[in-house]
Amino acid sequence: MFKIKTILIVLFVVSMTPIFPQVSPEIQLGVRGLTSINMDIVTDNTTSAVNDFSDTGILLGFRQKLYNQYRGQFVIGLQFPDADSDLGQVFFHQTFLKVENKSNILKMGRSRVRSSLIEFPTLRDDDALAFTDVLNPFSAGENTEDNQFGNVLELAHVHNQRYWFRIHGEHFTQTPIAPATSETDFSLNSVGFSFVYRVPETELWNRPVIQQVGIGYNNYLMDKSNVSNEYSETLGNVILSTIMNLRRDPVHFWDIRSQIISNLGFDNINEIATYGELTRARSIGNFTSLRYIYRKLERPTVQLSVSGGYKTYPDLTNTSSQMQVVGNIFYRLGENFDAGVQVQYQSNKGDLINIFGNEETRVQFSLIYSIDQLWNNQFDDRESLLNLEHGYIP
Amino acid sequence: MNRREFIQTTGLMSASVLFPKVLLSNSAESTNKDRFPKPLEPLIKGDVKEFHLAIDIYQQEVVPGFKFHTLAFNNQIPGPEIRVNKGDKVRVIFKNNTELNHTIHWHGMYVPWRMDGVPYVTQMPVMPGQEFVYEFVAEPYGTHFYHCHWGTLLHMQSGMYGSLIVEDSDDPIKRQFPYEREYTLVYSAHDSNFIRTELNSMLERMKERMYLMKNGRFNKERFAVFNTKDEFVESVNNGYQPPYTVNRRSPSELPQPNWFTVNGKSYPMTPNLFIKEGENIRLRLINAGGEEHSLHLHGHDFWQVCDDGVPVPQPWQMNTVRLSPGKTIDIIVEGNNRGLWTFHDHDTRKVTNNGLYPGGNLLALVYEDLPAEETKLDMMSQKLGLDALPIVALDE
Repeated sequence: MFKIKTILIVLFVVSMTPIFPQVSPEIQLGVRGLTSINMDIVTDNTTSAVNDFSDTGILLGFRQKLYNQYRGQFVIGLQFPDADSDLGQVFFHQTFLKVENKSNILKMGRSRVRSSLIEFPTLRDDDALAFTDVLNPFSAGENTEDNQFGNVLELAHVHNQRYWFRIHGEHFTQTPIAPATSETDFSLNSVGFSFVYRVPETELWNRPVIQQVGIGYNNYLMDKSNVSNEYSETLGNVILSTIMNLRRDPVHFWDIRSQIISNLGFDNINEIATYGELTRARSIGNFTSLRYIYRKLERPTVQLSVSGGYKTYPDLTNTSSQMQVVGNIFYRLGENFDAGVQVQYQSNKGDLINIFGNEETRVQFSLIYSIDQLWNNQFDDRESLLNLEHGYIP
Repeated sequence: MNRREFIQTTGLMSASVLFPKVLLSNSAESTNKDRFPKPLEPLIKGDVKEFHLAIDIYQQEVVPGFKFHTLAFNNQIPGPEIRVNKGDKVRVIFKNNTELNHTIHWHGMYVPWRMDGVPYVTQMPVMPGQEFVYEFVAEPYGTHFYHCHWGTLLHMQSGMYGSLIVEDSDDPIKRQFPYEREYTLVYSAHDSNFIRTELNSMLERMKERMYLMKNGRFNKERFAVFNTKDEFVESVNNGYQPPYTVNRRSPSELPQPNWFTVNGKSYPMTPNLFIKEGENIRLRLINAGGEEHSLHLHGHDFWQVCDDGVPVPQPWQMNTVRLSPGKTIDIIVEGNNRGLWTFHDHDTRKVTNNGLYPGGNLLALVYEDLPAEETKLDMMSQKLGLDALPIVALDE
C-alpha cells in the first residue's frame, strides 16, 4: 500500500512539472544588512563590546496570478540569529505559501507569529521582546526567534480595505527540542484570532488621528497530551494595540504607538525561577513609542524615537516588575543606507532578577542597508492607491 | 487542463462567435462602431464651438480578461474625437479630476503659443481640481491629435490622447478620391507594468504635495522647478536631491511596451474596417504612442494622401506605411479585391498581447458584400466544428 501511494505521489509531482513555456513569476527581493557595535554595562559594572550582525537577512518572494482572480506567492527567507541562540549560523525564519484574492488570504508555513499586533521603532525587532511580544510558553528561552516565528496556518479576511479579521493556528517551537515527529513539528499548539482596523500605508497623508487599532487573543494549548502532562488548562493572553498620528505632517511627522499585553497566566505560579515560569505567570505589560520623522524632500532623513515599557506580575509573592527605556536616532546616509545610535536601559525587580539580572544598559552604533527590489512586476499590490481608490484589479 | 489546452479552448470559444458570416451581420457592424473614437459634440456659444474634456483615472479593458488603470479623457480611450471646420473658433474647457498634474497639447495645430500646453514653457500645469480654458482657431486642415504634455512618457501611454480632425468643406482628398466612409485609427503602445508602478508612485507623491499645498508650504524646490540654473545649482549644493535620480521617482527603468492598441483595444477586440467592392475608404492613422509601426495591408495597394495632415502633392501608392511616433498619415483604400484581409504591423513583435502572438494591432479589412459561401471550409474543418473561416484564432 505504501509503495502504491509513493508511486502515485511521484507521478503526480512529475505531471505537474512545468514542460510548457511559463509566464515568468514576479520576483521580490528584500535585503537587510544590519551591523552594530554593542557596548553592554551590566549590574556589576562589567562591560563588553561585540560586533553584532544578528537580524541581517534576506527575503525572496515569488508571486504569480492564478485562475479565477487569485494570486499565489511563495516566500523564503533567512536571517542570522544571535550568536548564542543555538539555532546555528543561519535561521530560515520565513518559508511560506500564500493564496489570496481581494478579500481573503490563506497563509501556510513558517512565518511571523501573531504574538504582537504592531512593530516598534527599535534597532532590532527583539530589542524589547519581553514587552512587545507574547512570550512562547513552549520555549526554554534560548533565543528570541522561538517567540517571533513558528509554523503558521492563518486565514485573514479583509473587509472594506481596512478591517482585518484573522484566525490563526501555530506550532510554536518547543525547546529543548524533542525528537522531531510530524506531530511535534507541525501540529498546532496554539490558536487565536485578531481584529484590526488599519489605514493602509499608501494613504499616509489622508489618514486622520487613528492609524491602527487592534485586539488579539492567543490561546496556547498547554493541556494537549503531547505537550505537557503538567497543565490541565490552556494559557491565554489578550493584546490591545493602537497607533495614532500626532502630527501627520509630511515634513515633521509625529506618531505614537502603544501595545498592552495581558498574559492571563496560570493560577498556581507564585514565583519565577525559570523561563517557563516567566512565560506562564500572570502579567500585564505595556510598551509605548513616540516617534519623530524629518522628511526632507519626500524622503525620510532623520528618525528619532523614545520608547518605554513596564510590566508587572501581580500573582508573585515577591513584588516583581520590569522596566525598559529605549532611545534611538537614525540618519539617512543615502539611498537605502542609514546610520543609527540606540541606547537602552532595563531594570528588573523581584523574581525577574533571577532571569534578567538587576539592570543593564546597552549602547549600539549601527549601520543598516535595506533594499526592496522587484522584477517581472506583473500586478499591483493590494494596498496600492490605484487598487484602493480606483477599483481593485486582481 | 494544461496551459496550452486552456488557450486552445478559449481560442475556439472566441472564434466561434466571430465567423465571417456573423461578422457580416448588421449587429456586427453596429458593435464595430463602438471601436472607433466617439465624436465630441460641441456647445455652440455665439461663433465659438465649445468642447468639454475632463480627465479621470479609469480602468481600460484592452482585451477580455485584461484591465489596467489608465488616465482617460471623458472616460474614453482614445479620448473623444474633436471634429471642427477649418477656421472655426474653438474653446476647450479642460477639467482635471485627478490628483495629478496635466496639460493638453494640440499636436500639429497652429495655436497661440500660450495655448500649446507645454508645462513651464507655455503655461503652468493644470493642477488637481483645476480647470484650464484653451482657445484657438482651427487650422491647419487635416488629421491631428491632442495629448497630455505633462509627464508625457507616462501620461500619453496611459491613454491621454485623442483625435482632432480639421475638415474643409472643399476637401482636397475627397475631390481626388471620392469617399463616403472614413475611419480614425489611433495607435499606441503601453507598458502596463510601468504605467501601474509610475501612476501609483505619482499618486503617492501628489497626496503628500497636496497636503503641503493646503498648508501653504509647497515651494518651488519641492515642485522641482527653479527660476534660474544658478538657483538650481545652489539648491543642489544645499542638499537638494534632484528629481532625475531614483530618489524621487520610480521605476528607474524605461518602459518596454507589452500591449499594442488601436483605439484603445488589442486584437481580437480591434476594430474591423468595412468596405464594399468599388468603394473608397479613408483611414486616418495617428501614432499617439512611443513605438514605430510598419502597417501593411494584404491584397491591396493603398494611396498615402496626407502626411501630418498636409495633403501630399502626389499621392503615393504603397502597401506598407511607416507610422512613427507623433505622425499622422491618411491613406485611401480602394475596394478592388473582394475578401477578408488583414491590416497589421509588420513589426510582428507588436502583433502580440503581453508577449503572446497573435494580438496587438492586428485588424481586418472586411468586404461587406463578400458572399458567405466563399468562406466555407473543407469537411475536416467542419468536423472540428468550424463552418466558415475563423477571423479570430488565438493559438497557432
